[in-house]
Amino acid sequence: MALKDYAKEIERCSACSYCKWIPFDHVKSWRFAKNCPSIDYYNFNNYSARGRYLTSRSILRDEVKITDEIIDIAHTCLTCGACDVSCKICRYNLEPLEMVRELKAELAAKGNYPEAHKVMLKNIKEEANIFGISRKRRGEWAEGLNIKDLTKEKAEVVFHAGCSYSYDKKLSGTVKTAVEILNNAGVDFGIMGDAEMCCGAKIHSMGHHSEFDRLAKANIALWKRAGVTTIVTACADGYHAFKRLYPELGSNFTVLHIVEYIDQLIREGKLTFSNEVPMTITYHDPCHLGRQGESYEAWEGEEQKYKNQIVVHSPKKPRYNGINGIYDEPRNILNAIPGIELREMERIREFSYCCGAGGGARESYPEYSQWVAGERLEEAKATGAETLVTACPWCKTNFTDSLGDNAGFSVVDILDLVRMAL
Amino acid sequence: MSLTDKQYQEFDAIVGKKNISRDPGILDGYRYNLSHTAIHLGPHFDVLTPRGISVLLPGSTEEVQAIVKLCNKYKIKYKPSSTFWSAQGYPSDDNTIVLDMRRMDRILDIDAKNMVAVVEPGVIGATLQAETIKVGLNCHIQGSGCSCSILAGAAAWLGSGPGNLYGGWQYENLLGTEWVLPTGEVLRTGSLGYHDNSWYCGEGPGPSMRGVMRGMFGTKGSMGVFTKCAVKLHAWPGPQQIPVYGKAPAYTTKLPDNFRAFTLAFPDWQAWADTAHLLWENGIGYAAHRQFNFLGRDLKWGMIQILTDADKTISDLDNLINEPGFKEANDSMKIDFQIILAGMTQRDFDWQKETLDEILSITGGYIVECMETENIRNYTLLYLLRLGHKALNLVYGGGYDGNFGLINAIDFGSQRAEEVGDFKREWEKKGQIVAGGGDCMMGPIGGQGGGGTGLWENFTCFDSADKNSTDGALAFFDASFEYTKSKGWSGCGFEKLNSMARGYDGYATPKEVRDQGHANSPFAPAFRYQAKVYRSVNSNDMGDAYYEILED
Repeated sequence: MALKDYAKEIERCSACSYCKWIPFDHVKSWRFAKNCPSIDYYNFNNYSARGRYLTSRSILRDEVKITDEIIDIAHTCLTCGACDVSCKICRYNLEPLEMVRELKAELAAKGNYPEAHKVMLKNIKEEANIFGISRKRRGEWAEGLNIKDLTKEKAEVVFHAGCSYSYDKKLSGTVKTAVEILNNAGVDFGIMGDAEMCCGAKIHSMGHHSEFDRLAKANIALWKRAGVTTIVTACADGYHAFKRLYPELGSNFTVLHIVEYIDQLIREGKLTFSNEVPMTITYHDPCHLGRQGESYEAWEGEEQKYKNQIVVHSPKKPRYNGINGIYDEPRNILNAIPGIELREMERIREFSYCCGAGGGARESYPEYSQWVAGERLEEAKATGAETLVTACPWCKTNFTDSLGDNAGFSVVDILDLVRMAL
Repeated sequence: MSLTDKQYQEFDAIVGKKNISRDPGILDGYRYNLSHTAIHLGPHFDVLTPRGISVLLPGSTEEVQAIVKLCNKYKIKYKPSSTFWSAQGYPSDDNTIVLDMRRMDRILDIDAKNMVAVVEPGVIGATLQAETIKVGLNCHIQGSGCSCSILAGAAAWLGSGPGNLYGGWQYENLLGTEWVLPTGEVLRTGSLGYHDNSWYCGEGPGPSMRGVMRGMFGTKGSMGVFTKCAVKLHAWPGPQQIPVYGKAPAYTTKLPDNFRAFTLAFPDWQAWADTAHLLWENGIGYAAHRQFNFLGRDLKWGMIQILTDADKTISDLDNLINEPGFKEANDSMKIDFQIILAGMTQRDFDWQKETLDEILSITGGYIVECMETENIRNYTLLYLLRLGHKALNLVYGGGYDGNFGLINAIDFGSQRAEEVGDFKREWEKKGQIVAGGGDCMMGPIGGQGGGGTGLWENFTCFDSADKNSTDGALAFFDASFEYTKSKGWSGCGFEKLNSMARGYDGYATPKEVRDQGHANSPFAPAFRYQAKVYRSVNSNDMGDAYYEILED
């Protein structure tokens, strides 16, 4: 698909502004009713899905020059997908998230993207990670753990650590917990080590689709060569890429986030917690594990008219509206840990508020990205919790940076809590 | 037209550089696409409202005042809008500054004792209701839905909705108001004229400023800027938070037993109207609307099944319509409306239910059986209480508009409903608008003060991306207008008043065209009065043509 393929959608957008709010039925307060970080921060209508439809219209019709403002309008979208969920409360024939991705791609194809993206792209091309750290160091986190190297050995399951867990030393304890759990459960698994490549989710969310395709195809080829059937990851971005985006390129592996694995082990009685963790916590649903963590469903069909002018699809088109993401599994784990008191925020599950790290915004619009994280932390604190728990390294890092030295509140990965409870 | 650099810097100095833009890319985000719906304006395929010359996001009354004064100085029109629902909220002339009021979105006070909320323009129905029910009160949410500005519904439009029955039209709930006049001066109306922080009364000082200020249909952003207003709140005998269950979009609620939604149906329209009268006479009911019929008399049971099942989509409609039992269920609610009973106590609820049963036994009405599943009942309850699914108006093809307004006594509209449906059904055969079954009439069961009047919209849905469809819809609207005019139906001009203000090109229509339309309207005396008001406070003609005036 390309932006021009959304021309009809652009005309069909109702301009109702539902994309700016969580589903209205779920509004519990004035303070936490909004869902779109970019219009929350920038305020102009264009910074919402509704406005981006109009901006796209102007671009397609060549009615505006591509200014820095237009680049900002497109690339401040975190591609968190909250607009998509709210839009689909009432609409069955609009795909605002897909449209915005194509808007980014349309601009990116002509070199219209923030400077920070250029650096990230260069890093990806040269080192297969966005940080620009040598790819030879990608497997360092696993040194001494005695994990199979699937470029040389065979196993059914590959654990994909991802860029953040591989290179961020502050997260190495977390990722080690993940493999420890797999080991203890007797799972036959390995890693790709230095050969592992970035999943490409971030690049995809920035509109660089051909580079994403290159990374995805490389990872798929690696996995096929290693003979694996299942991909396990602890990264929400990676999960989204493997579960939802890779199948479009022919990938047909079973994909599990580590929380699904742990939840399954708990339910089967293979994992029990012996330590009490007396904490009052709240859980943040990562966008890419939650509403964008739904399985890919292949569809080939066409738009048709019914009863003269009702726009339908034949065959019935899959509907991604966030409800089938990974929500219960992390909560099951938290509720299984003795001593944990889980207090929910107002914006949860399919209408969770973003952490601010997505879409390349953390790197290109850092002040905005940190403000978004701060907004979410305010909501977390309002629950009375002392700790925010998440299941994504990007969320954790963005929250931790925003929190700074804020005493009395902490941000942890769900795996860190699991480790404490084991 | 564009702002000079000097002018731009002066506006910039008021709101700050983060809150002003003249980038064409930003300005295009403040244009309304007249293809999909124009609320009684079009549709006009491939037409956008004029591009403004700048967008400003004021953050306070003082900033609004300064902007308006500067606009007067340079003779630049301005158009304030809170939530930009429909074309009326967008400029209808060039040389216009758009005031996006979204930064002024605070709930300033909820005075539970006096049952009053004070809000800024950006406060929407959903957020105000979420806060007021915490103190046992509810706000009226206008029919455009809870995504829309409470202030705009009260001060700038009519504000009709399901809650009319208990809470009146929104304009009736308008109390003290802070009004930045078209000249830039501030007028504080009602009890604010006596005490700075007293918002509880909308009348005075002196003669009723409420009528002067908002006119008959509301100012629609054309007579200065309303920066704060108070609205009357109503009793909420429910929990402090509405619990929500189920999967999107089929969310439901479960409220205590003193709440319940019913779908009532009737053997004929006379029974329907008689029931409305008896509801008013007996003072029962919390909200009532002929709601789901907007989906079309022939389609509504299929659509209700889709909307209440997260696994279904609109592409399932054909299968559902052809299922055994569909026709019986659908036919059982041809002439229907939805009602919520909410008892202040359980005893009150029981009494209301007994009264409703008695009314139905008198009129021959009945509770529709297929709508009595717990899931559908609770979906209906949540739908009508929060009005969070109003964009379903556009569910079919992205385009909708309503006609056959028929504002009058409730019997008036109901007696003409079948004729209206027959008329539309013939047009549906042409293939350009959705074939919903002719009768797609939606409207409240009660108007002013909870009773007395009805208001209809016969929903006409079309594909806004298909010129053949929008052209057909427009032709139908024109034909229906001529039809109502030929019939001499009171209020027939209602749905066309706005199109007098904006032409096929998205711009304001010439004054003589508007005058002709207003002169032929049943509301001509009101528009003559409003012309006098306009001349008194808007001598520089700073707004657009939406304020309805008729010059002598």
